[in-house]
Parts: sequence; structure tokens; C-alpha cells
Amino acid sequence: MSAIALKNVAFRYPASPERALDGVDLAVERGEIVLVTGPLGAGCSTLLLLLAGFAPRITSGTRTGTVRVLDTDPGTYDGWRAVVGRIGVLLPTPSTQISGMAFTVRDEVAFGPANLGWEPARIRKEAAAAMERLGVAHLAARDPTTLSGGELQRVILAGLVAMHPSVYLLDEPALELDPEGAALVYELLPTLSEEASVVLATTDVDRAARIAHRAMLLDAGRVVACGTPDAVLGTVRAVALDAAGTVPAVAHAAGCDAPYPLRVPELLARLRP
Amino acid sequence: MSPRLLVLIPLAVGINLAMGQFASAISLPVYLDTVGTILVAALTGLVPALITGLLSQVVTTVVSGNSIWIAFLPVQLYVAAFAAVAARAGAFRGIWRTVGTGLLLGATAALLSWPIAYLAFGGVTATGVTAVTTVLTAIGFPLRWAVLAASASTDLLDKTATVLLVRGLLVALPRRTAARFPLAERALGRA
Amino acid sequence: MVGYVATEGPLHRAHPLTVLTFGATIAILAFVLRGPWGPVAVFAVALGAAFTERVPGVLKPAAVLALPFWIFLLVIHGLLRSDVATAVTLGARISAILVGFLVVLSAVPPSRLVEALVAKRVPFSAAFLLAATLQAVPRLRERAAAVLEAQRCRGLALRGSVIHRVRAIVPLTVPLVLGALGEVDERALALEARGAGAGRRTPLDPPRDGTMDHLVRWCCAALIVVAIVVRVA
Repeated sequence: MSAIALKNVAFRYPASPERALDGVDLAVERGEIVLVTGPLGAGCSTLLLLLAGFAPRITSGTRTGTVRVLDTDPGTYDGWRAVVGRIGVLLPTPSTQISGMAFTVRDEVAFGPANLGWEPARIRKEAAAAMERLGVAHLAARDPTTLSGGELQRVILAGLVAMHPSVYLLDEPALELDPEGAALVYELLPTLSEEASVVLATTDVDRAARIAHRAMLLDAGRVVACGTPDAVLGTVRAVALDAAGTVPAVAHAAGCDAPYPLRVPELLARLRP
Repeated sequence: MSPRLLVLIPLAVGINLAMGQFASAISLPVYLDTVGTILVAALTGLVPALITGLLSQVVTTVVSGNSIWIAFLPVQLYVAAFAAVAARAGAFRGIWRTVGTGLLLGATAALLSWPIAYLAFGGVTATGVTAVTTVLTAIGFPLRWAVLAASASTDLLDKTATVLLVRGLLVALPRRTAARFPLAERALGRA
Repeated sequence: MVGYVATEGPLHRAHPLTVLTFGATIAILAFVLRGPWGPVAVFAVALGAAFTERVPGVLKPAAVLALPFWIFLLVIHGLLRSDVATAVTLGARISAILVGFLVVLSAVPPSRLVEALVAKRVPFSAAFLLAATLQAVPRLRERAAAVLEAQRCRGLALRGSVIHRVRAIVPLTVPLVLGALGEVDERALALEARGAGAGRRTPLDPPRDGTMDHLVRWCCAALIVVAIVVRVA
């Protein structure tokens, strides 16, 4: 049983004539990292909202097709209740994800586990472990509203990790992070995928392609290609959509033939006669 | 309570308390401290507006350290209830209808805060309003009428400006946001 | 100073609900007891609390807040109506409530109060709304200041005729409010995904509610009842 199974899913926001997503199929197994990318407005964020069950339950709108995440439909109220805490969602802007109820970083990380009603000892243990993993243990006593964007995003992610979800939905997780912080997050994702499925929506293809097992390219709500990162991103179409990342774009500009390489050493090998 | 309301209410309270900075900047005798409450009433209805009013009054009291404010909680709740009912009835439909709503709200709110100011505090509350009260008493008005006249004049101006502002906000809502709040259309008399 | 002060004292050690009860008792007794000596006595108690909690610093903002009241009271009731007793009663009443309230604020940090509410099985929504509001207010205030600056830089004039000034409110309010509304969905999603309101929340560090706390709360309640009975009789 796949952790995530979408079949022919279409979605339209309320008061919007065009479909944000159309005819989307996706299956994600446990232990997989899937990169979802595309030009602006392609529907990557909407796809994550659908997987989280936020659309159409909270956003309203019309959805067709089947959405199964962890064996339920999170878009329904009952389905959502069944998976609360098992789907971790990370959004780009840290300041809007802050719980608003925590006055220290430690409490912020413990917010999710506390809501799930865990035992205090378990909460403390998981929160401490998560803070270590994200390199924010030294900030434990700080007021979250005083942290920098990068620090806060790592704290929020620690809060998700502490809940040990089975599915991670990450929307531009490193957008507001400095290069060091971004590197840390991307290094962490493969270890997270050991116990979960990860769907990563980002335009930071250079970093993401290195760790993703599969990639999916969206354009105007439709799936253009789905397969291994090399097969999906090393194409002319991907470069044309400006969704391929730096190396394929350079290879294309240098006149190489498709399929383009995704990594610098391969590019150099192609360019040297 | 739905997460959207859990998020919206604190934002509305924050708006209530932040508007004071704008009011000072334009140096007019208005507070504009119910913009958030009335907006929530128009967007989501009675109960969230009541909660917004309650929290606004509690936090104003806590933040200023001036516990006097909490006595005026009934007035805040009244404003919330009035706004919710008015919004349902399409009171924000046109400019003049909105002005009428504001004047009615201001007059009735003043009537409600009057006994609180007079009975509980002997007519001595907020400095600006109390200055007017003092002058009126000095020229011979009986205290109880001086208090009423003072609070009525500020409330009429304040509430009218506030409802006009809320109407402007409802009209300016982007389509996608407005679609999330179906009651807004009704308040504008469009539904 | 207004707000929590990290010092020592019986109220600081007490459970937040006990501290709130104390504050409420001061406020109620200030109204119920006959003046001028009743409110004056309550004021003395509030002053005493400021010292036992080692927060004499609250007296300054209390004085600043109370001063305009006293001036108006003495003018309106003292001079114009020749009723000094009423002026003193109302003045002492307001001063007692002000000082009592500031002492309560100094003894209870918001986080402790929220944890106490969660531990007492207050619904998640209520505890969350209180905490989130306390954090949202400074944030929106900062944003309002930023909007004001930005619009001023764009040439928004805040002087002039009354109509002009009233109109100026619009380009200030609209960005502030629409910006806040635009965030609602993202914030709601983040809350939801972290299980907000999903079930019974575990209190993270609940304050201790001891026998002394219960005793003090009952005594306060009894005191209020006795005072009301005496006043009415």
C-alpha cells in the first residue's frame, strides 16, 4: 500500500475559472523523496495543499479524482482526524508557521507533540532529540519571536520532526535559509526519508535533485513528466520551463544534446572533448 | 473552533490595538479601536466578533496596565453584536447606509458606556473625554448629562469613521480572499 | 514597569489563578467597601503587595495612570461639587485597582498563565486564543508602524483639513489589514498540521496548585461575600 496515491486528481480554487491542477497521478512509497517542481503557478504548492487535506477542506474549491494519504482521504474531516500529526507540513515563511502559543523555542518544538497528547517525558525526549538534529539545541530557552528567519525555520522543522510523521510535505523549505542552513536541511532529508515519505516542492532544483529519488515536473497544473530526476529534469522541456536547474541550463546553452547532465562533473566530462 | 478562526481572531485583536497609532498620527479625536471587531463581524459573524471584542478589551487592559478599561467590556461586546447583526442585514451596502449605521452604533454605544462612566467612575475615565466633561460641568451642566454629551460626541465620530473604513476594506478584498468569507458579500448587500 | 518582573514573593510563587483571584478581590472590594476609608484600606493592601512582591517599580506607571484621574476628580468632585469625600473615595478606588492590577501583571508571566489554563482543562481554543493574541498584538503594532513609515516616505500627508486627514487613514489601514488577512490560510495550515485542537493537550510545565493556593482563594471568596453582605445590610 503506497503512502501516497493520487489518481486523476483535478482541483479548482473557488471563484477561479482555471483549474489549478488537472489529471495528476502520483504514487509515493515509504522511504521515497519525490521532488515536485515547475514554473511559477504550476500548481506545486496546490498539490501539497491537497496532500495535506487543506484543500478543499479549508480553502474550499472543487476536487475530483482520488486522494489517498496514509490510507485515508485527508480532504475529509474524518480522514483528517485519522492522520493528525502523521503528516508534517513545512511552508516557506517561518514567521507564519510559528505556533503563537510558545514563549520559548523548546515549547515551540514541543507544540505539536503536546497537542497530540503525548506523555510529558516523551515530549521532552523527542523535542530534545529533534532540536539536536536540526542544530538548534543552543536556542532552546530563547523567545521564538526573536530568532532570525533561518533559525526559526529550523525550529519549525524540528517541531515537525519531533512528531515523527509518516509523510513530510515540504514547500520551499530552505527559501529563507542561509546557505549553511539550507545545506543542513537538505542533508537531513535523506535521514528523514528513512522513516517517512517526503514530497518536496521547490525551485531549488540544484540541491533537491541530488537527494530526490524521483521527480515530477508540472506546468499549468498538468504533469509534464514523472520519473527519475535525470529523466525528468535533463530534458529540453524542463530547460524551456526554466525548471531544470543550473547544470542542464548551462549544458543546453553550451549546445550539448539532451538528455542533459544534472551534476557538474558529468557536465565537465561532456564539455571536454 | 476552526483553525482559520483561531488565526483570524488574534489578528483582528492586533488590528484593533494597532489602529491607535494611525489615529494618533492623524490627530483626530477617534480611537478606531473596533476596526478589527467590526471586520470580523462582517466576515465571520457574531461569535467570533464577540470573542474578538472580549480579547481586545482584556489585552488593552493588560497592555496599558490600566485596569479601568475592563469595565467597558459590555460596550465592546455590544459593538460586536451590533456589527454582526448589521452586517447580516447588508448595512454596508452604500456609503450613506454605512454612515447611518455608524451614527446609530455611535449613539447607542455612547448610551451604553454612559452609565459605566458615570456610576462606576463618577464621570472620570479617559482624559480626552473627561476634559470635555470637566468643561461642561464647569459651565453648569449636571454631571450626568456632561458625561453623556462628552462620550456621545467622540463615539459618533469614531464609530462612523470605523464602519466607513470597514466598508472600504470589504470592498477592497481581493476576489480570492473574499471567496473564503461568504458573509462579506452579504454585508455589502451583494448576496 | 508594566508586565512581568522576575523577582521573588508570595504571589510570584503562587499559582496563576490564585494571583488573579487576589487581583479580582482587590478590585471588587474597592467597589464594595464604603468610602472613603474602605477604598483607602484596599489601596493600602495593594501598596503592601507591591512591596512584598519586590516590585515597587509598578508604583511609577500606576502614579502616571492615576494622576489625570486624581486631577479631574479633585476638580470635578472636589472643587465644582464641593465633595472631597467622593473625590477621595473614587481616587482611592481607582488607585487600588491600578496598583493591584499592575502587581498581578508583574507576578504572572503569560506563559505560566497559559500553562495553568491548559492544566485546568480549559479548552485548547481558549488557551490558544489568549496566548496567540498576546503575541499578535506587538507584531501587528510593529507592522502598523512600518506601514506608517512606508506611506510617509511615499508622500502621504497627515496634516490638513479634517476630511483630508480622515481619508489618509485608508492607505494606512488597507495594507495593514489585507496583509494580515492574506496570511490567514498559511497560518491556519501550519496550526492544523501541528495538531492544534486535535485532542487533549498535554500541559508542558504546569504550575503547582498547592493547598495554600486553594486556601487563599477560598478566603478571598469569603471576604468578598462578607463585604457584599455588610454593604447591603
